[in-house]
Amino acid sequence: MWVFGDDVNTDLMYPQICYTLPEREKPIHAMEANRPGWASMVRVGDIMIGGRNFGTGSSRPAADNLKNLGISCIIAESVNGLFLRNAVNCGILALEASGIHDAVVEGDIITVDFQNSMITDMVSKRSVTFRKLPSFLMEIIENGGIINVLRAKGLLGDPL
Amino acid sequence: MNIIEKILFNHSIEPLTTVSPGDIVTVNVDRAIMVDMAALHPEFVDNPPVKPFDPEKISLVFDHYVPSPNIEIANRVNRLRKLVSRWGIKDFYDAGRGGISHVIGGELGWFKPGSLIANTDSHTVATGAFNTLGRGLGTPELINIIATGKTWFIVGETLKVNLNNRIKKGSSAKDIFFYIASLTGDIPGKNVEFAGSGIQTLSMDDRSSISTMCAELSTEFAVFPVDNVLREYMNSAGINDYSAVEPDQNTEYADEINIDMNSVEPMVAMPDRIINSIKPVSDLGTVDIDVAVVGSCANGRLSDIRDVAEVLHGKKINRNVRLTVTPASRKIYMEASRLGYIETITEANGLVTNPTCGACLGGHMGVVGDGDTVISSTTRNFKGRMGSSSARIYLGSARTVAISALRGYIKGDMN
Repeated sequence: MWVFGDDVNTDLMYPQICYTLPEREKPIHAMEANRPGWASMVRVGDIMIGGRNFGTGSSRPAADNLKNLGISCIIAESVNGLFLRNAVNCGILALEASGIHDAVVEGDIITVDFQNSMITDMVSKRSVTFRKLPSFLMEIIENGGIINVLRAKGLLGDPL
Repeated sequence: MNIIEKILFNHSIEPLTTVSPGDIVTVNVDRAIMVDMAALHPEFVDNPPVKPFDPEKISLVFDHYVPSPNIEIANRVNRLRKLVSRWGIKDFYDAGRGGISHVIGGELGWFKPGSLIANTDSHTVATGAFNTLGRGLGTPELINIIATGKTWFIVGETLKVNLNNRIKKGSSAKDIFFYIASLTGDIPGKNVEFAGSGIQTLSMDDRSSISTMCAELSTEFAVFPVDNVLREYMNSAGINDYSAVEPDQNTEYADEINIDMNSVEPMVAMPDRIINSIKPVSDLGTVDIDVAVVGSCANGRLSDIRDVAEVLHGKKINRNVRLTVTPASRKIYMEASRLGYIETITEANGLVTNPTCGACLGGHMGVVGDGDTVISSTTRNFKGRMGSSSARIYLGSARTVAISALRGYIKGDMN
């Protein structure tokens, strides 16, 4: 589990250079402008913690880049509205939990309990509750993103 | 209901009795705008909708990378062009035809007062100047909207911003925005609704600059009321079939602030951010610059190019400065040419490029290098935004950029 601060922006998650790179080469550039080397330390399933307004910035596929890096879940004090939509649509959980930033210590293992909407740092044993996402958004995430939902309905056509 | 709640109410797919903060509203979208960036999102070119919900309500605008800066992008936008015939898109604006989507949408009458627009770009809130709802959406969301004609919004609380008096000489609408940002900080999930007697003194360019920049506050929507300035603009664009929306009388707002526009000095955003980063230029000291940029959906408009031309008229910019001026649309470019602005800027050793988003996103047409200090009228100054992550990007009005280009530094006295 990795801890970041307030206002982590999309241009950090998905720098300009990523636009024209092959898909598999994009994730390694995440956060390189302010935390060089971080992306190579991420292991599949890691959780990212943020402060206020996580994902502020542009509509670029920043959430996709974190997902493709292996991040399984994002939890922040607050999640930017556009980022939330993009996260849901690419099938990655982005949760808001007041007090999360100070309740956890980087490197600790945390558990996300969906029954009780509770996040617990397994080392410090501190817990905070998270705000549930509306069920229609959870459904999109459970389907792996909006593309899968649309494809299942036969709404998507041949590649260009 | 306020303007934003009412427009959502009017677009709801199912009848509602009211709309209030916390509600999730599923709405019909009046127009979906796709920009060339969609070509760089594999999820779009690999999975385009079979057909759009209504080809007449789809716009395809090439703006971010115009003309293509490299082979990779040239090939990718070629794939996107195939949509034009596949879907029968009439509103297609290729390189040389249009300009930045947030600007030509106004020029072409796509932003009808009271309507609701979807666009992949984060500065879609620009539509607010036209009493039109728009917010930036991701590419997968646009795929959904193009396929179904519908999307959803979580209704946020609304901050009322009363704009009073008029902008003082030497200041610009951008400075008014900076001042608002210095008061509000970022307000993710919330809306901004403008009101006040000063609005009538603001041109559509001024309003567009302010509404566009509201993206930087992380607002959901930011919207201006309808008045004669907007009605006359729509009339001159030949658009009369719209239903503008006004707030109900006695609407209550979550919060309200008053801005005396006449007291707002020229301001800058210090490098790397806008939020908690605004200073009056007079508090800045002297900052030597290498690069000056005027452009973008926020401030590459005709009034911005005019401000630059007025400052530079008959002069040369500082020998250590590279100035790039990028008109936001073909129409603005042609007007600027007709009025002699392009000649004035070129005479002054400034570089005038074709219409595009260009340097704002560090894609091309003015990418900045390591250690460059930049003053720019563009939208955003995140670290690395315009190229090198060691460049220091100050944001200011077009006028502040032009004066700084002339002097070689940013400094308090802006006259």
